[in-house]
Amino acid sequence: MSSIREHEKQRAAVLQGTLDMLILRTLLYGAAHGHQIGKHIQRTTNDFLQMQHGSLYPALHRLEKRGWVTAKWETAPDRNREFKYYRLTEKGKKQLLVEESQWKQMMEAVARVMWPASSKES
Amino acid sequence: MRWWQIRNRNADLERELRSDLELEEEEQRERGVPSEEAVYAARRAFGNFSLIREQTHEAWGVQPVERFLQDILHALRAARRTPLLSAVAVFALAFGIGLNAGVFTLLNSLFLEPPTLKDPHSFVQVYPRYTGWFLREDQYSSFTTEDYDAIRSRSKALEDVAAWQVSSPTLEEGKPNATLMATCNYFHVFGIDRPLLGRLFTAGDCNRGSTAQVAVLSESTWKNALGGNASVIGQTIHLNGSSFQVIGIVSSDAANFLPGGIFVPYTTEPLLDQGRDSFNSPNAPWLAVAGRLHSEFSRVDAQSELSTILSQQDRAYVKRQVSTFNRRTALVLTNGSFIQNPAIRNRVVALMALILGPLTLILLLACCNVTMLFLSRTVTRRGEIAVRLALGAARGQLARMLLAESLLIAVFGGAISILLVYRVPLLIMNTIDAHQARNVLMIHPDWRVFCYLAVLVVMATVISSLMPIRAAWKLDLLTALKGREGSATVRSGTTSGLIVVQIALGFALVCAAVMFGRAPSLVTGMNPGFDIRHTIGVPLKVDTSAANHANALTFNSTLQSRLLAIPGVQSFTYASLDLFRLPPPIEIRLPGQTVGQGKPTSVNNVSASFFSTFVIPLIKGRAFSSSDPTSHNADSVAIVSQGFAREFWPTGDPLGNSVITPDNRRLTIVGIAADTQSETFTVTDGPRLYTLRDPSALDGRLYVNFSGDPKPVENAIRDTVRALDRTQIISPETTWESLEADAEQMRSLAGIVLTMASIGLLMAVIGVYGVLSFGVGLRTREFGIKMVLGADRVTIFRSVTSQAFRNTAFGLLCGVALTGPAMWTLDRFFASALPLRGFSIFIFGVSALLLAAVSMAAAWLPALRATRVDPMQALRNE
Repeated sequence: MSSIREHEKQRAAVLQGTLDMLILRTLLYGAAHGHQIGKHIQRTTNDFLQMQHGSLYPALHRLEKRGWVTAKWETAPDRNREFKYYRLTEKGKKQLLVEESQWKQMMEAVARVMWPASSKES
Repeated sequence: MRWWQIRNRNADLERELRSDLELEEEEQRERGVPSEEAVYAARRAFGNFSLIREQTHEAWGVQPVERFLQDILHALRAARRTPLLSAVAVFALAFGIGLNAGVFTLLNSLFLEPPTLKDPHSFVQVYPRYTGWFLREDQYSSFTTEDYDAIRSRSKALEDVAAWQVSSPTLEEGKPNATLMATCNYFHVFGIDRPLLGRLFTAGDCNRGSTAQVAVLSESTWKNALGGNASVIGQTIHLNGSSFQVIGIVSSDAANFLPGGIFVPYTTEPLLDQGRDSFNSPNAPWLAVAGRLHSEFSRVDAQSELSTILSQQDRAYVKRQVSTFNRRTALVLTNGSFIQNPAIRNRVVALMALILGPLTLILLLACCNVTMLFLSRTVTRRGEIAVRLALGAARGQLARMLLAESLLIAVFGGAISILLVYRVPLLIMNTIDAHQARNVLMIHPDWRVFCYLAVLVVMATVISSLMPIRAAWKLDLLTALKGREGSATVRSGTTSGLIVVQIALGFALVCAAVMFGRAPSLVTGMNPGFDIRHTIGVPLKVDTSAANHANALTFNSTLQSRLLAIPGVQSFTYASLDLFRLPPPIEIRLPGQTVGQGKPTSVNNVSASFFSTFVIPLIKGRAFSSSDPTSHNADSVAIVSQGFAREFWPTGDPLGNSVITPDNRRLTIVGIAADTQSETFTVTDGPRLYTLRDPSALDGRLYVNFSGDPKPVENAIRDTVRALDRTQIISPETTWESLEADAEQMRSLAGIVLTMASIGLLMAVIGVYGVLSFGVGLRTREFGIKMVLGADRVTIFRSVTSQAFRNTAFGLLCGVALTGPAMWTLDRFFASALPLRGFSIFIFGVSALLLAAVSMAAAWLPALRATRVDPMQALRNE
């Protein structure tokens, strides 16, 4: 029972890590509010990754708590309304590098198992 | 983020979600969705708002706090819905917790706190244990004057060392008054630098040889005994007939922990302790010693330094051949609190357990009652609980909710109990001894008290919520959702368990009360092996110096003849040893043994009439006769105690044998006297040798045996002594009377315990009644059906009472299992100190009978109600 729960936890951590990386990467282009971030990820992946708000907002607040992003209410340049804009911090940038390299390592590892011949060639 | 920022953060999140939702709506409209539809489409795209909120809160890490606050809010609402039940529960717990915490405050002040308020960390009290020389080797005692002087002059780790001894001389012609013979730096060491009036001692007041006869009074003595007049400074008071000039008053608050009412320089000891001179005796340990640590030294440093000083003292002692026995001294350094005193630590711990144990039982009983109330509330709320469970509430959540309800009640109870924390200690002190209460202390609850209070609140919370949680977990969802009485809601095991627990706790409490109730009669009923009711000690102060020899002889012989003339006086005797004081040991050898080979013995030099005056039976041989030689350089006869005979001749007969005293007198044993308990209460004396006193000698303490009422004889003795010497003001008392004073205090203590036990018993009765009527209420349907099926009312009545009877019997058994080991432990600790005879069939018998009677009485009413169930009503419900 406990090992199943442990496994679930690990899976959640991996998924969370991926989402965090995507958000951080999106913010590399500049400040954005929650809706923009969600839409950007969705558009960039050709709607393959449907951003659920239920995971987006907790993720944003988690990143803010960790100091990887900062948030501030600002007036949008094209509208006369305030939105909560998230910005990448220096710490966040470093974290993005870490997450990116970890992701690459994992991709390579998976690739070696799935396509042994092509990964050897490369 | 802090939990108190949650509200702002919530508003911020709400605003963020709303603004993004509006954006989503706009986008939907831009896509061509009609305006009204766009709102719903955006909502669908966004998902469940509450879920997003909840998940975001989880990311903040404040969920547990939020849940806790929610639970507490829910508990508040639940409490408001049942105000009477909640109020009763709060007061029951407030009473249980307050009583415990209040008594703990008192114990804390008496036993746990160091005796000074000023920089208690640097305060050190030192206890010596002399071995090889002192009769009671395993005991920690006081220092001799020489050892105190050595510590004071040689210690570098202690910057100031004070010493003191408690005494109780007679103030003017009244009652004995607690007096402290203290060194002149005593107040400074205890952190009292300023008097209330006048001045404190100066170093000159304690000069040896030219002692100043001055006294400092405590505020309470000043107000109670001397009227609280400021003109008292400079006046003369008399202690045991010696005059002392009052020089100052110390305030009660400053003198918070001072045990004395009057303070005099310790150099006045020979004046106050009639006939004794501990001050100049190298063999008499009498001074308690405490000091202040130098800022550069720790307690460990001081310990090793003082040990070195004392081992030097030991060597010097042996070298000077003060005694034929060697001496080794071990030391213990403490913070001065009672509980750290090595001589009595175990007893203090046991005493605290003895006092707090029954009180905890009262709290447990209160918890049982509250459990019952909560249980009934859980049953009435079974519909709500069932709905919660059916909607998917986890059992943990349910338990948390019920726990929060208990916590709320316990916290309110705890808050109210703080009132009791301030009131109970004074109430108890006043009951025990109103005079003493003013003398002793200002009681301040400190961190220990509040920690204890917190522990009690947590304990009460957990205990009172266990059963309701269990009942909620075991809820039969189906019947509960249908709104029917679930017979399995509260199982009969739960109610039986509650009755058993309450009976067991009540039994233990009643046992404690019966034990305490018997204690005073055991004190006065004690048999120390000699007559304590008809023997009066006559404390005399006679100048026995060579210049006054003739006068002293005349005084003695006149007094003796006048004493015998007092109606009722039968005989008198002199004895060299005091009652209830540890005597210095003397080496007694057998013929053929060299010095050092003998055994330590207490030697009592007594008149020929000693055994008849004290009514000590002679087991064998004869008493002294007036023809026996008494000269210091002649051989003579002696009488030995049974203990002595066992020690020196384990198998043979001592009669006719001889022993050798340190001054090389050969004494032939002519009689064996019964053992007595004259050194320590309830402890049989060690080997004791009685020698015959020279009738013309001047030393020794005088005892008178009389018949009839003691009061007139005591007054006559007092007047006779004063008529002979106007300076001798004495208040003679029988041993029994002084024990009676102790018993009086114990009686009031027993009264308190009895009151508490009665309250506990009442709680148990109410509890048993509550549980049974609750159980009967639950079984109404069952009784109705039974009646329809032919059971008569007697059968129903019997079924309820027999359940109560079974549970009571089992509860009593559990009570015995609970109380037995506790009493056994008490007996171990107190056998020698307090006359609490532990395990006793009498105590168990009385307690069991009482408990059985009250629990059957409590079962009566519910059983009667069970017989009045209307079968038709029950069937209609079915």
